[in-house]
Amino acid sequence: MGWESWLISTFARALAYGTPLLLGTLGEIYAERSGVLNLGIEGMMIMGAYAAFVVTSKTGQPWLGVIVAAAVGGVFSLIHAFASITLKANQVVSGLALTMLGLGLAGVLGRSWVGLPLFTPLTRATVPGLSAIPIIGPGFFTRQCLLAYIAMLLVPIMWYILFHTRIGVTIRAVGEDPATADSLGVNVARVRYLCVVVGGIFAGIAGAYLSIYYRPAWTAGMTGGIGWIVIALTIFAFWNPVYGLVGSYFFAALYFLAYRMQMWVAPSILKAMPYVFAILILIFVSRGTLQKRMGAPAALTLPYTRGEE
Amino acid sequence: MLKVLTPKWLKIERRPVPSGGVIFLVSIIAIVAALLVAAIFFAAYGVSPISAYRSIIGGALGNWSGISETLRRMIPLLLCGIGLTIAFRALFWNIGADGQLLLGAVAATGVALFSGLPGPLLLPAMFFAGFSAGALWGVIPAVLKVKLGINDVITTLMMNYIALYVVLWLIHGPWRGPSMRGYAYTDMFPPAARIPVIGQSHVHWPTLVLGIVLAVIMYIFLNRTRGGFEIRVVGENPHAARFSGISELKTIAIVMVLSGGLAGLAGVGEVAGVHYQLLDPTQISMGYGYTAIIVAWLARKNPLAVIITSFFFGVLMAGGDVIKVNLGLPFQLIHVFNGLIMFFLIGSELFMNYKISIRRQ
Amino acid sequence: MQKKILLTAVLAVVLIAGIAVIGAAKAYVPGTPITAGFIYVGPIGDYGWTHAHDVARQIVAKEFPWLKTVYVENVAAGDTVSTIDKLVNDKHCNVIFTTSFDFMNGTLAAAKKYPDVIFAHCSGFKRAPNMATYMADFYQVYYLNGLMAGALTKTNKIGYVGAFPIPELKRHISAFTIGVRTVNPNANVYVRWTEAWENPAAAKEATEALVAEGCDVFAFTQDSPTVVQVAAANGALSFSHYSPMYRFAPNNVISGELVHWDKIYADFLRKVYNGTYTAHNLQNVDYWWLLSQGAVEMGAKPGMPINPIFINKLKATIVDDPELGKISVYDLIQTRLDQMANPGITFDPFQGPVYDRKGKLEVPAGMWMSVNSLTSMQWAVKGIIGPWPGEP
Repeated sequence: MGWESWLISTFARALAYGTPLLLGTLGEIYAERSGVLNLGIEGMMIMGAYAAFVVTSKTGQPWLGVIVAAAVGGVFSLIHAFASITLKANQVVSGLALTMLGLGLAGVLGRSWVGLPLFTPLTRATVPGLSAIPIIGPGFFTRQCLLAYIAMLLVPIMWYILFHTRIGVTIRAVGEDPATADSLGVNVARVRYLCVVVGGIFAGIAGAYLSIYYRPAWTAGMTGGIGWIVIALTIFAFWNPVYGLVGSYFFAALYFLAYRMQMWVAPSILKAMPYVFAILILIFVSRGTLQKRMGAPAALTLPYTRGEE
Repeated sequence: MLKVLTPKWLKIERRPVPSGGVIFLVSIIAIVAALLVAAIFFAAYGVSPISAYRSIIGGALGNWSGISETLRRMIPLLLCGIGLTIAFRALFWNIGADGQLLLGAVAATGVALFSGLPGPLLLPAMFFAGFSAGALWGVIPAVLKVKLGINDVITTLMMNYIALYVVLWLIHGPWRGPSMRGYAYTDMFPPAARIPVIGQSHVHWPTLVLGIVLAVIMYIFLNRTRGGFEIRVVGENPHAARFSGISELKTIAIVMVLSGGLAGLAGVGEVAGVHYQLLDPTQISMGYGYTAIIVAWLARKNPLAVIITSFFFGVLMAGGDVIKVNLGLPFQLIHVFNGLIMFFLIGSELFMNYKISIRRQ
Repeated sequence: MQKKILLTAVLAVVLIAGIAVIGAAKAYVPGTPITAGFIYVGPIGDYGWTHAHDVARQIVAKEFPWLKTVYVENVAAGDTVSTIDKLVNDKHCNVIFTTSFDFMNGTLAAAKKYPDVIFAHCSGFKRAPNMATYMADFYQVYYLNGLMAGALTKTNKIGYVGAFPIPELKRHISAFTIGVRTVNPNANVYVRWTEAWENPAAAKEATEALVAEGCDVFAFTQDSPTVVQVAAANGALSFSHYSPMYRFAPNNVISGELVHWDKIYADFLRKVYNGTYTAHNLQNVDYWWLLSQGAVEMGAKPGMPINPIFINKLKATIVDDPELGKISVYDLIQTRLDQMANPGITFDPFQGPVYDRKGKLEVPAGMWMSVNSLTSMQWAVKGIIGPWPGEP
């Protein structure tokens, strides 16, 4: 059992468990960049997981399940968007309510689907070429879910949009200084609505990944707190998709290693480690000027009304 | 902004400051509206909504066993809620009441089982230890935020998980009770370390009284003292705070000592008033720390109002048991129910902060 | 000051009201209809522990025309008494089953509060005149599964994904390991704990960690089929646990453990109905039901003790048993199954001498373990590799 096999298995699990975290984080980054904190990830994710499982079971088409999950997540996020953007409600409370509602609804609706096997989960694929790279190849590019590769590809795309296009500038402007953006003719509400819905779509897809690939099965509450980890990862990633990828895979790797190393350290202590590490890393990077550049969007959690700043 | 969804004939003006009466009235209307929507679910399950609501209210308030369940749920919500109103006044997003509660429970257990203190000193020492542990857990994110600018939502949230694993480690490892035959619980507390309860209920009334007294004290502190004034200034206008020489570090640290400490007291109440031992963390916290966020928010950052809102959520939680036991409906309906009520309540914010009237042609 | 007086008055009123409620339940008269309440720790759809209890509830409800059942799912430890309050006062239950160790103290408190109601608590060790205990235990079945695992492993590494390191699991893992080592002294059982009864991500990553470790056969204690699914996805074999999980991986599930709580519930309720059990004579009633009472069964689905595709391999593997001589693993399993399943049990997995993994003699030669020492077992047998919190 050499170090290569340790690395390969850790990489493989980092990708497998990190993908739902990454998907959720990518979406939440967009929502928060526009100034809307959405603590309802868990609720949107479970609705997506439920929708994907039901659709896939009924039709045998897992990709249709993914699409429907995305739609359900997006529609469900509209509740939060309406409450926090149009009604200017407190975002923390609205997000908590969304989580509660989602967990409840999916639990009630999904009762008859519990414990059924799924015969057509998303399939695995190996990336030709890349899989030949030593260690990285068998770790990241061999026999993983196609959705995991898509999530990986989305990272540079979403990073580019956010930092190098007009759309990205607009989103960030709305999140940093909505009054100025408004005065420049940006429809603040519309941008925020769109970003929250993007967050919902991604959370829905993450849910689909869980119920029709990672598990694959349905039980109430099967998201098991992943939505909360996403909230943390978003901040941990400094609202940057690239760091979102690093954070998601890192967290997943630690989660997996907690089981591999259980021989030597008490399981509870190991499982607390990712959270301790996250705080330590935040402390580390907060030193010096780095922090100013990487702080939260200035208008995060603040509703915007013209002429009221 | 509101233009998106506002027809021309509506006129929306911002209210300067909503009065207590307006807040109360609008909240009641919102709750009634949510109950009307939730009635659809009852009807879908073939339960008459009217009889359903009657048995929920009856089950939570109609007899002593219902009232005792309501009060028992109210106690941790009250203590955590008061603490959170203080934090939210300083615009410190303490999502970590759950973890602070658990640390309070841990400290109380440590004192109860291992301190060797004589009987009469045990409970006071447990409350003191619980407050201190919760305060310590709360003050870490405070320092990290002020000194290093680290987001308070993430640190408090992360520290909930760490607290959870601390409890798990203790009950599986060093603190596992020899009398529990290998199961992951500590031993039972000695009688002197148990908070008196009313009858055979779980209502540990001294904690309840403590909570109500603290609500009054914190109200006075926040509204009538210089310290409270400084907290408000730091929350509402950090610039002004800096100019008037208020130390942000000191203020936020005090805020979180109080906020975490009060949650810690709630933890003491749970282990010394309900369980008499340390057990699985989710069984101790029951999500009280998260629900308390809503309790505090609904109280509009006013500690006195927390007495009412925590009671209301106590009723909701006890009513949830009725849905489950008496009506035999899926327990997840309770979440749907709570979620709906919350959305209608936050939706009603608009009607509090804005005056809406029909525009005359 | 006035406030304080008011508060004291309010407290006094509720106190009196509280006392008035106590003792409202009436004693059960044998031969009259029974309302039985079931309190579950998880959701009935957990596909594990609670699911199995609920299946049993439905069976007995159908079997006895004089029986009405109600259930409450997802009950927290701290809510035990309040839930029982409602079951007794509003649902008029005469018999209440509390189906988790977590409910032990609450059930005991409720038994004192309602001396005329009959209680039965699952998997605990505290009893009262009106509170019995019961348990359907798997350790014999785990031993039999261990025999199969030992014969079918190629890497000599067998994985076990446990929930919590409590005596029940320690007993099962040790019995399983004894089985493994009986047919394959070179094999080891690698244990990981998830510290959750149902957390699919934890179960999945723990299984993956064991796969990376080289394990190729899996057993587990989790309230979901996750381990079966993950093992199959990695081409590894597994045993089903609690509910029939054969259909989740028909080519990879060897056998498993199935429970029939209805056997215990039927027996208990019948004895309440005919007056054998009353609210005064349960102090020493403890069901510890195993294979011979039919409370547990070997298999991944009812009626299929071993997945047929593995039978040939088990028949072809010959071992030298110190007692039975040269024998195929398949015959060894059948022999041991017969010895334990038929009344007058002549074999026990923990038949001495049994040494723990630190080399201490735990069960002297020729001795069997008492129920008490089985239910409080802390040590691990030789062949178990992994953390063992609370190991003496």
